[in-house]
Amino acid sequence: MNETIVSKKRKSAWYHIQTVLAVLVTLVMIFPLYWMIATSVKSAEEVQRVIPTLFPHSFHPENYVAVLTKANFLHYYWNTIVMTAGILILQVGTGTLAAYGFACGNFKGRNVLFYLVLGALMIPLQVTFIPIYIMCANWGLNDTFLGLILPESVSAYYIFMMRNSFLAIDQSYVDAGKIDGLGKLGVIRHVLVPMSKSTIFTVTLVTFSNGWNAYFWPKIIAKNEVRRVLTVGLAQLKNTFAGQAVSNYHEIMAGAVLAIIPLVVLFIIFQKYMMTGYSKAAMK
Amino acid sequence: MTDTKNLKPVSTAKNGKGRRMSNSTRSKIGDFMFVLPAIILLAVFTYYPIAKLVQISFTDWNLLKPEWKFVGLKNWKWLFEGSGAKYLWNSLKVTFLYSCGEIFATLVGGMLFALLFRRMTRSFSAMRAVIFVPKYVAMSSCAVVFLWILNTDYGVLNYLLSLVGIAPVDWLNSQSTALISVLMTTCWRVVGYGMMIYMSAMIGISPQYYEAASLDGASKSQQFFRITLPLLSPTTLFLLVTTFLSSMKVFQSVDILTSGGPARSTEVFVYLIYKYAMVDFRMDRAATSAVMFFIILLLVTVCTMKFSQNSVNYDS
Repeated sequence: MNETIVSKKRKSAWYHIQTVLAVLVTLVMIFPLYWMIATSVKSAEEVQRVIPTLFPHSFHPENYVAVLTKANFLHYYWNTIVMTAGILILQVGTGTLAAYGFACGNFKGRNVLFYLVLGALMIPLQVTFIPIYIMCANWGLNDTFLGLILPESVSAYYIFMMRNSFLAIDQSYVDAGKIDGLGKLGVIRHVLVPMSKSTIFTVTLVTFSNGWNAYFWPKIIAKNEVRRVLTVGLAQLKNTFAGQAVSNYHEIMAGAVLAIIPLVVLFIIFQKYMMTGYSKAAMK
Repeated sequence: MTDTKNLKPVSTAKNGKGRRMSNSTRSKIGDFMFVLPAIILLAVFTYYPIAKLVQISFTDWNLLKPEWKFVGLKNWKWLFEGSGAKYLWNSLKVTFLYSCGEIFATLVGGMLFALLFRRMTRSFSAMRAVIFVPKYVAMSSCAVVFLWILNTDYGVLNYLLSLVGIAPVDWLNSQSTALISVLMTTCWRVVGYGMMIYMSAMIGISPQYYEAASLDGASKSQQFFRITLPLLSPTTLFLLVTTFLSSMKVFQSVDILTSGGPARSTEVFVYLIYKYAMVDFRMDRAATSAVMFFIILLLVTVCTMKFSQNSVNYDS
């Protein structure tokens, strides 16, 4: 009896320490995000104070207008949206079809081809970008949407995840679909895809976030204003106002907030999916 | 669109993994058509470039002159013995240090965070979400925020340090702290990821193990080192391998925060290749370094695959 009370008390001490520690760590972790937002509405003068102000003294939403119009972020937004949509459609399209082919198809060399797909996981764009850049330049794809999208149009990761998901579905569902008069595309559309909805959803979210945050390839292929994407435009922002590197941090932060809004909103809506998305990949 | 030929009662002999056996050649060609787009794109944008890359590494091609010729092993000699060698080793060293930092943050930081935040209440779940969200913040946004926080004159970190009497540090412009600054940004971004992976693996551990252990009088720390840690070893291995491979490809944070400087102290491997190709236009040297990079990635992957096959998996 006595013993349990003691252990309960000790536990409650640790319990409170844990709570305090967790809150402190969370505050530290959220600080950069808070600082980004707080700075983005400060005035140029307030940003340059020697003693930083934790809360903005005055509210300046015009920083956002400046970034959207003066720094052309509206245009970068459009470029990023089109690029991400293109990558997403192509990766999901080619990936789902190929996953069906590898999971349910039967043709010569299927395993060899699948190893080719797995091998591609080991060959990132950071290795192959030189020949691809030259190829795209020869095709006149510099500063075009096609140039931004094509090299990212197929994802070995997507094929791999979808194939595993399709393989996990019992063959009898596919057969049932066939008996009901579905062709192969019909089976994909009405049987396999609806049954692996959660995998498709999480993998697609990961694909979306990768596309939205892409930096390396867009920086190489779209150097000029016309097809510059948000991530590259944001990095450029610190160079455009040369010589006044400090004074425009309020505008840079406004740009940073603009660049992350879509993903953070998606994260808040689909929190559960996005948090399990990665761990799902980990379990495989 | 739909292939009505398949309505015929084809034999659907199965072999264990749910594959469909079909007798008609037409159906086989049909199946092949499904993988064809992906295979063509992979061939054009992954496998052809690799072959081309190896070819370029034996030429003297740069973008500033139109013609090129084969020069044998000249670039490889340059890379290992010539003036390229010291930059190669420097960037390998920097990349390795960076990788160690990111792995430490993901594994040790992630594990500590998972232990701290494992309580299953609403407020803790909200805090977990807050810690995980940087993973979805664009790296460029992360980088510019840290550029601002680490600013020498107006940065908030130097201000906080001045409160406890530490002189301002020139975080991004001094050789000793530049890499640490880049790693700080990375840590902030990846630690929540490590936490989530460990959390979901911990939930999978059967509570019976802990009940049995506490019946035997094992302390909390004994339980952690004797049960939790060994049972999580497949997760740790997974995190180790994937983090190592992805950390070798680091580019964006370095590009925005330090541009490889000062004095090449943050010049990671991908940044070196990028500079040879897109700044110096020396495609020959860039391609040679890229082939080298590919070989390293290949070796690491093969080694870890060998290792993970031999490693013990405690989970039944």
